[in-house]
Amino acid sequence: MDTGVDRLMLLVILSNLALLVAPRLGRAISLMALQGIFLGLLAIVAHSGTLTVRALVIGAAGFLVRGALFPLLLRRAAAQAGVVRDFRPLLGYVASALMGIVMLGGAMALGERLPLHLPEASKMILPASLFTIFTGLFLIVARRKALTQCLGYLVFENGIYGFGVATVAEVPALIELGALLDVLVAVLVMGIAAYRITEEFDHMDTVELTRLRG
Amino acid sequence: MGVLIALWAALVLPILGALLALPLRRPRSILRAGLGVALASCAVDVYLAVDAWRAGSVTAAGGWLYLDALSALHLGLLALVCGSSSLFALVYLGDEVRRDHLSARQARVFASLWCAALAAMTLLLVSNNLGLMWVGMETTTMATAFLIAIHVSRESLEAMWKYVLICSVGVGFAFMGTLLVAAAATSSLSPGSSLLWTNLVASAGLLDPRLMRAAVVFLLVGYGTKAGLAPMHNWLPDAHSQAPAPVSALFSGFMLNAALYCILRVLRIADAVPLCRGWSQSLLLGFGLLSLVIGAAFVMFQRDAKRLLAYCSVEHMGLIAIGFGLGGLGTFAALFHSLNHALAKTLAFFSVGRLGQSCGSHSIADMSGSVRVSPLWAAGLLAGMLALMGAAPSACFISELQILQAAFHRASAVAFVVLLLALAVAFVGMLRHALRLAWGRSARSTEEGEVPRRPYSSIERLLVAVPLALLIGLGLWLPAPLAHLIGAAANIVDGPRHASVVMIEQRDRPASASAEADPCRADDGPPVLVRGASVAPGEVHP
Amino acid sequence: MTLAAILNLTLAFLLAPLLAGVIARVKARVAGRRGQPLLQGYCDLLRLLRKGVVYSDTTTWIFRACPIVVLATAVTAVFLLPMGGEPAPVSFAADFVLLAYLLGLGRFFLISAALDTGSSFEGMGASRETFFATLAEPTFLLGVAALARKTGGLSLSTVLPAASPLAPEVGLIVLAFSIVLLCENARIPFDDPTTHLELTMVHEVMILDHSGPDLGLLLYASHLKLWLWSALVAGLATSPLVAPIWLRPVIAVAGTLVVAVGVGLVEALVPRLRLMRVPHLLATAAALAAVALILVVR
Repeated sequence: MDTGVDRLMLLVILSNLALLVAPRLGRAISLMALQGIFLGLLAIVAHSGTLTVRALVIGAAGFLVRGALFPLLLRRAAAQAGVVRDFRPLLGYVASALMGIVMLGGAMALGERLPLHLPEASKMILPASLFTIFTGLFLIVARRKALTQCLGYLVFENGIYGFGVATVAEVPALIELGALLDVLVAVLVMGIAAYRITEEFDHMDTVELTRLRG
Repeated sequence: MGVLIALWAALVLPILGALLALPLRRPRSILRAGLGVALASCAVDVYLAVDAWRAGSVTAAGGWLYLDALSALHLGLLALVCGSSSLFALVYLGDEVRRDHLSARQARVFASLWCAALAAMTLLLVSNNLGLMWVGMETTTMATAFLIAIHVSRESLEAMWKYVLICSVGVGFAFMGTLLVAAAATSSLSPGSSLLWTNLVASAGLLDPRLMRAAVVFLLVGYGTKAGLAPMHNWLPDAHSQAPAPVSALFSGFMLNAALYCILRVLRIADAVPLCRGWSQSLLLGFGLLSLVIGAAFVMFQRDAKRLLAYCSVEHMGLIAIGFGLGGLGTFAALFHSLNHALAKTLAFFSVGRLGQSCGSHSIADMSGSVRVSPLWAAGLLAGMLALMGAAPSACFISELQILQAAFHRASAVAFVVLLLALAVAFVGMLRHALRLAWGRSARSTEEGEVPRRPYSSIERLLVAVPLALLIGLGLWLPAPLAHLIGAAANIVDGPRHASVVMIEQRDRPASASAEADPCRADDGPPVLVRGASVAPGEVHP
Repeated sequence: MTLAAILNLTLAFLLAPLLAGVIARVKARVAGRRGQPLLQGYCDLLRLLRKGVVYSDTTTWIFRACPIVVLATAVTAVFLLPMGGEPAPVSFAADFVLLAYLLGLGRFFLISAALDTGSSFEGMGASRETFFATLAEPTFLLGVAALARKTGGLSLSTVLPAASPLAPEVGLIVLAFSIVLLCENARIPFDDPTTHLELTMVHEVMILDHSGPDLGLLLYASHLKLWLWSALVAGLATSPLVAPIWLRPVIAVAGTLVVAVGVGLVEALVPRLRLMRVPHLLATAAALAAVALILVVR
């Protein structure tokens, strides 16, 4: 736990724990934006010593898109739909915190077993990214509102981004930007879908979407 | 040279079509423009497929695009499914326009997204870079999302939401798997080329086996979600049943196969890595068995016709995955079954769509006794469903029999018994529904809401006759060129493992093909054995 | 027992009531008042010791034994406390378990006495106190386990001086322990020690029926507990400071007083939590301690 990158990853872990228990959508969106900023920093700092233009561009793109654009889109969608908080989530505060600790333990264990020789900067990048991925999946599964599920997907993508930094030194820039673009389109699609759902159903409680069965 | 032009045309033409459809005003012209360009693009795809197969393999864009027999087969499949679905969409949506159920805005959304999806799927099939393949898959998911909810309703929105969420997460997993493949290759390949499929296959012996195993798991789960393999299939019945019929046909007919194509590419790499050999195939076999069982079980008690066909897709995708998991004769049979399933499923979806338009709803109760409503499409539905359940003499019977043969020789006894039982259950379930749909008593009263039937257009007759003829024809006689193409594709999938399935005639390959050495043959022995001009289906031996 | 240990003990027993005065003074100052004298705690104790005692007819020997047991456990617990880098007068491997159980024993008797009175208010306080303790004790044990793993020692006396808060894990543990301090000592945001409404009390309502010297003993025991926890947190926070041997007790006492000032500030600035939110805050503390443990065990 000595290097700066280690502490950055600890901040990411704490932000995930905060996301798991945050009751209000606005706070959760801010936390996700913060995570995006941390991960953008990570992309620049992780391969220290080889600060290439490419790393800067991708890091900056990550910053802007994940730290600013996605929260903006999500906030707009939330304002349009009038969603403030996720009432009666499927797992409450204490249960979510407990699950968070279990997932953190799992992420640490899994991170040890994957033989990735890359992150000389820090041994914490992989576990922190895996934890972010698990947090995103948990939010998708254990929350009711459509927009919270969209938020969970964005956190999941944050984790995959960190995972990418931890596993591969150089994914071709085209692929990285393509992935970013695809996530952007996914957010737009989800935002529009959530809006349509709210219009049609007068709420966006996905637990109530049960007309198709069997 | 012509091949390269065709390649770029196949990628660019649909995008142009999407852009062309946007500024037009009237729904009918929008549909004609968009779908017309899609048809033209499908024609280009056929030309590209034939040319690529004749050339052996085609590389372009600095190694990022690559075509071999496997891509050619799937390009042909894409052209077949998308072409017939585009024709059907002209008829189906044309009818909706005539009844004022489709606004100009909806038509624009449909046409542009249809062409975008076609472009994305073509990109997926021709890419050599695993990352680019992933981009194509993700783009396909996003482009088809709104196609499901063209007609906004509670059910379609629910289906669309489930589709977007589940498939996005699945594709995210696939991205993680792609990253792990690149990580496995860092020690042996330079970063710029570490995701190129040809390089990965050639240097498979140097890949880190533990990372490859992790990668295979993630990729199977990720792309398996898009392929509708259980237990990740939950989005499939909803999405395929709520989408309009042409979209459902495209989904079931080709998109699921596209996801399996991605899995095949990965499995080919994993198969050449020591310690992964055989393990990935067993995993795929497991997924396939599970999908087959679940699909067959759920088919029994369906009440909605399109949902029934959707679960049937799950079942057949499971069957195809089992075939790939078995290898050897199983691979050949699985590829053949992809073709047959596409033919039968598109026919079935077309029929259900048209009959649904006539009857006003898609529930089986309402659509029973369809021969009295619309004999042509009822015949199409009955024939499609009979083919799907594997009745002779359709081609599906032959391919299913071959998969059973492969399972008998290679799979465990338990797996074989499960396979047989599942197929039997599916048969009973489908037959029950098929007979009821064709001749049963309808739940709706025959007096009201009876839309006077227009005489069938020639396109409609064509859309029923051609798949039917192909299904029965292929069941009786598999033409040599097709057998060779499928055999070559099977060889690519199996790699050095079972290089003796069906051998390809080497005589008519131009010499230029050997310059771009087919990496799959890098470590094979002398290639080949020549078979006769026409191969009867039963004579393909492992 | 070394001279320094005896000095630490004497300071603890003498200065414990001062902390309550400090907290009350800080609270008052922040609110713009002058506040009670710093030595008010001592005056309160002397006053209570001089008074007579009243026992209810419904109580049994448990009620009479409670203050004695509580004081005894608190005093014994102070013997286990290391201060200023000096080992505690009594220290052995896993002595923190004894510490936790001593405090638990005191709490058990407090709760039993509260139930013994047969009054519904005190029963309510007892149930709340049990509830909080269920969530707070594991946090303490998790935190100490993490510290023990990190420093390699098994006794509080070896663990506390060796754990530097500059490491992020220890920082997390300090945060978690601060929250547990507030909970164990019935401070805001868990419980308001100055409230007069029985429905909102937790700790105060349990000792509602005690009077005179009994109440004095219980009050002194709570002062000792506050000193114990504050010294723990201060010891963790100041462990990297290296000082000559005569300065160390001074630093320890100063640290403890600073913690008390911190508690006073929290009391003045933070509102009391709704009862339903209390588990949330304790779960947060437990989560922080668990994260620290996971990071250390990795």
